[in-house]
Amino acid sequence: MMSVAPASTATATDELKGPAAGFGLAAAIAILINALLAWEPLNAYMASLVGGDFWRTHGVAAVVAFFALGYLFTYQKFRIDGFRLAGLLAAASVVAGGGLALWFALA
Amino acid sequence: MNDVILFAHPIFGMLGVLASVWVFVEALNASEANRSRIRIAAFIVAGCFVAAWALGSYWRMAFYASEKAIILKGPWPWAHNFVMETKERLFFIPLILSLYLPIAVAGNLAKNGGARVVALVVAGFIVLNGLAIEGAGAVISYAVKVAFVHAGVVGVE
Repeated sequence: MMSVAPASTATATDELKGPAAGFGLAAAIAILINALLAWEPLNAYMASLVGGDFWRTHGVAAVVAFFALGYLFTYQKFRIDGFRLAGLLAAASVVAGGGLALWFALA
Repeated sequence: MNDVILFAHPIFGMLGVLASVWVFVEALNASEANRSRIRIAAFIVAGCFVAAWALGSYWRMAFYASEKAIILKGPWPWAHNFVMETKERLFFIPLILSLYLPIAVAGNLAKNGGARVVALVVAGFIVLNGLAIEGAGAVISYAVKVAFVHAGVVGVE
């Protein structure tokens, strides 16, 4: 079994480029956008777009943000160290998930 | 048919979680031999979460309004106000991660340690979020039952 090298020993072979890098950064940003969409004024605006239920526009907006940003970052030839991207994705997931839970716990 | 759709929603979610565990284990042991297996498993994860999204969307639009009203009148209103409100937004985190997973594993994980750790983190967070969402779904459905019992509906227990 191969071991995962710690970030401090990351080398050029740990770098991500192309769609893996572009869509990876897009995923981290889209996850944060998804959490921000829970903000009530945005919720109401999204509900008004489809005549009642915010959830359809919320999901579509998050997924469209992921693909649009992914294509943009890939087109711009974005590169990133894999360990750094993994940290960004983990941080985005924890902040967005914890933030959503806290938001509705306090609401 | 509606019962099939209701149960297919969490079943696809759980199949997606199981496939994510599969990706995680394969990525830990990444080699040339299991390269295609990792890609297949990653596409299964994405397919399962998209199916869970589609089925859950139908259920939510068609039926959840009445269940929400029942929950809010019962003794567990927090099952909607906190659990459902969080769950229905939290779901998009593993959905986005599952859509990214086939892209993340497209490279050679055996040679690129960075790509491998990204695949591990993405698959791991899909599992954690997926299990939390499955548990939340159980609480929400139980809150409907608790509301009926509280209202004295015979035969619900």
